[in-house]
Amino acid sequence: MLREIYNYRELLKTNVKKEIRGKYKGSFLGVLWSFVNPLLQVLVYAIVFPYIMRIQTPNYLQYLIIGIIPWTFFITTINQGMITVRMNAGIIKKVYFPREILPLSVVLSGLINFFISCIIILIFCLFGGIGVSAHLLLLPVIALIQFVFTLGMVFALSAINIYIKDTEYLVQFILNMAFYATPILYPATLFPERFRWILFVNPMSEIIEAYRAIFLYHTFPDVNGMIYLVIVSVLVLAFGYMIFEKLKKGFAEEV
Amino acid sequence: MIAQSEKVIEVKNVSKKFKLVYDKPSTLKERIVFWNKSKVSYHEALKDITLDVNKGETIALIGVNGSGKSTLLKLMTKIIYPTSGKIITKGKLTSLLELGAGFHPDFTGRENIYFNAAIFGLSAKEIDERIEDIINFSELGEFIEAPVRTYSSGMYMRLAFSIAINVNADILLIDEILAVGDQHFQEKCFAKLQELKKQHKTIVIVSHSLDSIKDLCDRAIWISEGKVEADGKAKKVIDEYLKVCG
Repeated sequence: MLREIYNYRELLKTNVKKEIRGKYKGSFLGVLWSFVNPLLQVLVYAIVFPYIMRIQTPNYLQYLIIGIIPWTFFITTINQGMITVRMNAGIIKKVYFPREILPLSVVLSGLINFFISCIIILIFCLFGGIGVSAHLLLLPVIALIQFVFTLGMVFALSAINIYIKDTEYLVQFILNMAFYATPILYPATLFPERFRWILFVNPMSEIIEAYRAIFLYHTFPDVNGMIYLVIVSVLVLAFGYMIFEKLKKGFAEEV
Repeated sequence: MIAQSEKVIEVKNVSKKFKLVYDKPSTLKERIVFWNKSKVSYHEALKDITLDVNKGETIALIGVNGSGKSTLLKLMTKIIYPTSGKIITKGKLTSLLELGAGFHPDFTGRENIYFNAAIFGLSAKEIDERIEDIINFSELGEFIEAPVRTYSSGMYMRLAFSIAINVNADILLIDEILAVGDQHFQEKCFAKLQELKKQHKTIVIVSHSLDSIKDLCDRAIWISEGKVEADGKAKKVIDEYLKVCG
């Protein structure tokens, strides 16, 4: 399987490029939009939450950015990945190539985008007087875990979406809810205690807290949380891949 | 034939059924509400087919429309999978089911060569090595730098065929596409296929231009209503086919 993907590495490469450039093709700012967009989002929340909702979190701007940018990586990848098999119906029907290339290239392009976006986080940390520490060396590790988790989800969703088209809309709704069930806009302590377990179960909260640890608090991420994350991510990937493998044989007939 | 009987494609008891669904349920609601109501019937495109393709053979698949030739070819490429039975292939396989699948109209001919060849599984280096051959073969000249959407259909086909034929696969599966371009280009295509044949590549062609196939292929397989009607020397099978269906 990996060998086959290696043989088709050129296809993977061109697909990743297309994924990164294609989305904003024709717009004036082009690829820049993928960085401007989360920044504009941050701007909105940075006005709304401290001034209207009166949230008092130190370094709120940085707190927000470190939450929004990984979250953007997560949802744009899920949204693009979910439809990737359907969008490529034309070549799926006519040419053989390892179908895994399609979800893989979406998540890879998301990862590359995310790494570039991390520069924005760094700029805000440096100019906000927070600075950086050696804990940043853990960034690739956390990003890799998020990559594995997201890839598993995209494998499963892109395949299921071919057979049940409602998946797209259902997932949209769930993602919307998940945004508020993740400590992105406000700290976990603001969450009602009765529901706080949701935050600990939700892998995205663990991931975002881990990014905050290394960028903002200059500490090691919570070890138990990380172990939980690794286990969940590997399970999600294994399960998602299984679903994809099971369903991919029917793609050419169903799309 | 006896000297080189290494099997490169084995088709073992393969059947393929296509679901024919009227009002296909594609949403969750329809699935739940009509879960037992959708009329499903099956069309059996291939019925228990068994055949071997040996290395270096040039085979024509013939038969009337709807007899299952293209389905067989798609199964060999692993675009679709058999309902029952098994297909084993050995070596790099390239299929030309539809020319220009995956072409992007806004990109130039040259860029599309890279993208299309990548779909066939070539690496950047391999494409670099072949790009001049591909461009020369297509005879597109300076048009290679123009976006593909500006091409005439003949130019489009020529480019697509040039890429596919230069991929350097061990097995080449071709579906009804030899009517490419003008007389001159068609002759060139056949000359190229003859050349590949001499290099002991395996070629399977679906075609209705029986005269040209007769010269090119050693073996022909006549498929009728999802079954092998005849299999043997190209001339013999084609004559037989013409007697019944001509």
